[in-house]
Formats: sequence, structure tokens, C-alpha cells
Amino acid sequence: MTSADTAETIVKARRAAIGPATAVALGLIALLIVWLAVNFEKSPALFVKAFLIGITNGSVYALVALGYTLVYGILELINFAHGDVFMLGGMMSATFLVSIFHLGSDPSAVYLWPALFASLAISIVFCGVLNASIERIAYRPLRKAPRLAPLITAIAMSFILQNVAIAWKGPNYISLPINILPHGVVFSIGRNTYTWDALIVVLLTVPVLVALVWLVQYTKRGKAMRATAQDREAAAMMGIDVNRTISFTFLIAGGLAGAAGLIYAIYFTSIRFDQGFQLGLFAFTAAVLGGIGNLPGAVLGALFIGLVQSFNNTLGWHAPGSDWTQSIVFSILILILVFRPEGILGERTPEGG
Amino acid sequence: MSDVATDTVLRVDGIHSYYGSIHALKGVTLEVRTGEIVTLIGSNGAGKSTTLRSINGLIHPRRGRITFLGKDITNTAAHHVVGMGISQSPEGRRLFPRMSVTENLEMGAFQRTDKANFKEDMERVFTLFPRLAERRSQKAGTMSGGEQQMCAIGRALMARPKLLMLDEPSLGLAPIFVERIFETVIEINRQGTAILLVEQNALMALDVASRGYVLETGTVALEGPADRLKADEQVRKLYLGEG
Ligand SMILES: Nc1ncnc2c1ncn2[C@@H]1O[C@H](COP(=O)(O)OP(=O)(O)OP(=O)(O)O)[C@@H](O)[C@H]1O
Ligand SMILES: [Mg+2]
Repeated sequence: MTSADTAETIVKARRAAIGPATAVALGLIALLIVWLAVNFEKSPALFVKAFLIGITNGSVYALVALGYTLVYGILELINFAHGDVFMLGGMMSATFLVSIFHLGSDPSAVYLWPALFASLAISIVFCGVLNASIERIAYRPLRKAPRLAPLITAIAMSFILQNVAIAWKGPNYISLPINILPHGVVFSIGRNTYTWDALIVVLLTVPVLVALVWLVQYTKRGKAMRATAQDREAAAMMGIDVNRTISFTFLIAGGLAGAAGLIYAIYFTSIRFDQGFQLGLFAFTAAVLGGIGNLPGAVLGALFIGLVQSFNNTLGWHAPGSDWTQSIVFSILILILVFRPEGILGERTPEGG
Repeated sequence: MSDVATDTVLRVDGIHSYYGSIHALKGVTLEVRTGEIVTLIGSNGAGKSTTLRSINGLIHPRRGRITFLGKDITNTAAHHVVGMGISQSPEGRRLFPRMSVTENLEMGAFQRTDKANFKEDMERVFTLFPRLAERRSQKAGTMSGGEQQMCAIGRALMARPKLLMLDEPSLGLAPIFVERIFETVIEINRQGTAILLVEQNALMALDVASRGYVLETGTVALEGPADRLKADEQVRKLYLGEG
């Protein structure tokens, strides 16, 4: 056999090895692109509107997805209670905005911002402390137990938080006045408008994301978090208090969920005890999609899920519609877990997690 | 023995350490004095790394006592031990693989608050290992074994330790790197740091050390001045590859 023959055999073998799965994936992506292109062609304005809604929803998912990813990165634990912490943050915000600050009944713009920021701060602190307490009480005693134990505990914790919410607010939707946020038009494309409430969501989310990146990348606390995630024992050897760093990580993850809770409450203006579970699964899918443990990946994954949802709900030509959103999102989760468990941006390394 | 010499840096006194029910150290006693290089040799599984881990506070002995500069550190948590002046370049290097060389060195100085000397120490490490200076922004996990070893030693130095523990710094390195590492160990010691050196390469270790301990299945089988150990028939046969 000549060396050219050998080379060809190797190429063929390689092609065969990644064949069917890749072919199916490429086929699906091609179909998706065609579907998007036809929709864009038929109604560019609707397409742009769907795109903007997707980005807006996606940024809320990003805040929650980052919490999953931060905690997984440091403990290799999927914190199933995380979505419920977010939900309680939403309820907390609703209480403060409606019952204490009386927003909606008094739609003066001067009063809006201080009340929003105060509620945001309260929700962030509340959820941060709640999440850190959950770690301290429920997960830390199981640090050395088999990995299934804290996972089951996390699921139990999720149920407990949902029941707390039912006991506190009842089993029905609690709604906020829809006019909490101004709905004025920022700009319009054809008959479709982009309104202030959506823009405010993005304007609240982006600084939080930037602050998080700065914290993790450049501060001493952030570096301690990364070191602990990469090698817990070596981190202790450097003088890093591992337990405190893990608590801090839960605090930050909870704080992000708290911010998401407030933003969700004012944007969607209704919240129920089981919404943490639903949104949590979306956000978890986003985190897995981006490569769990990977911060930029979680944000991109969340924007992607947001877009999937809004294209599916909004577009006119052969869109499956909102009844199918959950099925589609979970199909994505399953496909990723089966074919690329390290996620789109994750590295294929044993320690990459 | 009860009279603790004033120049004792570290004293390990009959410690028993366990991994679950595995009895890894069965009464290890050793001492490091000011300005010394002390080596700990022994075959695989003898308990060398476990001794360093016990000193470091990563595991706590169930019996016995460890004192450092007169303070009892037997049950001190690992993250407090560094601040007291003990740092380690551990077995397997244990760098933070997705952090840059500079960030790894920064982590070594985590406990320190003196920003002023920090730059100076970083330069000192880069002078000892010019190779690291060239690679300062490379991710530690992507460097060669020898480069990683240098980074691990450099990281341990960043703590400005009074006692530096090195666990098999020459493992898996080319002879030229091994030579360089040993030269560096002597250089660090000359700058005033006491060193506890664990080595497979017993011959070189006994060359640079002033005293040595031979560990066998969790106990000290032999101890003494390095040249005496080097001349010992038993040691020559078992650890210096003669016989
Ligand atoms: N994490 C662990 N769990 C259980 N047993 C362990 C663990 N680490 C070490 N041991 C056991 O403790 C004993 C001492 O191990 P240690 O790592 O201290 O040996 P060592 O002298 O450093 O050996 P080597 O030269 O191979 O590095 C061995 O019998 C080993 O099997
Ligand atoms: Mg060892």
C-alpha cells in the first residue's frame, strides 16, 4: 500500500466514525436555516421583532443559567433548587413592588427607578443568602458522600422551596400590574414595535453580566473561585479558604437568580410557585448547551434558547407554536447530552468538567 | 529530646495518619532546622507524600504532634498553614491548568498582603526559571512537564515560605532539567529557606541535603547525616541502585 492509500483510508475511516450523527446534525441545521430564511423573506419586521424578544428573554435565562454553571463549576453539582431560588426572588420582588412601594397604582416615572433598584437589591441579597444557606445546610454535610446524594438532596430542596412558595402566596398565579414598566415605543419596524419594558430588561441585565465577568476574571475572590473549581486541594494549599469560597459562589449564583427574579416579575408581570422549575430547566439547558462550567457559554446558550423560544412562538410560516416550546427545548437538551455532553463551547478534556 | 533546640523550624513527633481505615503513617518523627536541606527518601507507598500532606494540614494525624516555629499546627487547617510560613510543591504539581503562569504564581502569594514585594518575588521566580518568564501568559495546563514543575516550585516560592516542601520535583524530567531543579533548590536554600525534599532520586537528594530520613511502610527506618546514609550498605542496596 502506498502512503497516499493509507492516508485515504484514514480519511475515510474518520468520515465513517463521525458519519451519521454529524450528518443528522448538519441536516437539522440546514433545515433550520432554510426555515429562518423563508420566515425572514415573508415578513422581515416580524422576524426582527421575534429576534428582539428572543434576546430579551434570553438575557433573563442567562442570569439563571450562570448560577447553574457557577455552582457546577465549583462543586460538580447540578443545583436543582436554583430555579426555585429564582422563583422566590420573583415573589419577593412582587411583594415589595406592589405591597410596599405601590408601583403600578402610582405610575410616576420619578418614583419608578428608586423603587426598582431598592427591590432589585433586596431580591439579590435575599436570594444570595438563601442560596448560600442551602449550600451550608443541605450540601456541605454531603461534600464527601457519593455524588448521587447531594443531587437527590437538591431535588428535595427544590420541592421544599416550592412548598414554601405555596404556603406563602398560594398555588395560583400572583400578578403584578402590567403598567409597572413603561410600555412606550423605543423604535418600530413596520407595524412591529420595540417597547421600553423590553429594553429595560436588557439594560438591567447587561451591567450584571459585565460585573460578574469582572468579578470572576479580575478580583482576588474571583480568582479564588476559579482556583477552587480547578483543584480544590491545591487551592487550600495556596491559603484559599475553600468552604468560604464555595459559600461565596452560592451567594453570587443566588444573587444572579435574585436579579433574574425581579426582572422576570416586572417584565412578565405574573409568577407562580412552579415557574422556577420551568424556567430553571430552560436555563439548565442553556448552561449545558454552552458547556456547563463555562460562563460565556451559559450566556450564549441562554440567548440561543431565548431565540428558539421566541422564533417558535412568534414566526408565521410553519412555526410549531408555543405548545411545542418545551418539547423543542428538551429535545435540544437530550441531543446535546447524547452527542456533545461537553457543550458547544466546552473543551473535550477530562478535567474540563 | 524534650529540650527543643531554638533553631528547630519544624518538628514532627510520632504522627499517625490515616486514609479512612488505611494506616499510612505509623509514628513518623523528624525534624528540620534553620538553614537545612533535609531529604525524605523511601520506596513507593512508604508514606513520604502523606508526611508532607500531614504537615500541610491537608490531612490531620490522629496521634502525634507537629510543631512549626514553636507553634502546634497538628490540627491547623491547610489554608492557615501557608500563612504561617510553610508552602509545598506537591506531588503531581497540581497547578491550576486553566490559569496562566502569572495567575498560578499569584495564587501562590494568595495569603500575602504586601503588594510591594509581590512584583519583586515574581521577578525572582522568573530569574530562577527564565523559561517561565517566556511563558507567563500561557495556560499552565498546556505547558511541558518540566515547565509545569518549574511553575509549581515558583508558585510555592511566592508564599515566601520559611519552610519549603518539595515532593519529587525531579519526577519525569530530563536529566538536564533535574540538574537545573537541584541547582535551584540549593540556590533557594542559600537565600535562607529551610527545605524538606522528598525524592525518588535518592543519590542526588543525598548530595544536596545535609541530613536525611529513610521511610519504610509508614515509619522512619533510618536517619542521619546525608553522607552517612550515602555510605550505608542498606541504603546503597535499596535506594541507590547498587547491589
Ligand atoms: N488518597 C488515598 N486514599 C487511600 N490510601 C492512600 C491515599 N493516598 C495514599 N494512600 C496510601 O498511603 C500509603 C502512603 O502513600 P504515599 O502517597 O504517602 O506514599 P509515597 O511514599 O509518597 O509513595 P510514592 O513514592 O509512590 O509517591 C500508601 O500505601 C498509599 O496506598
Ligand atoms: Mg509520593
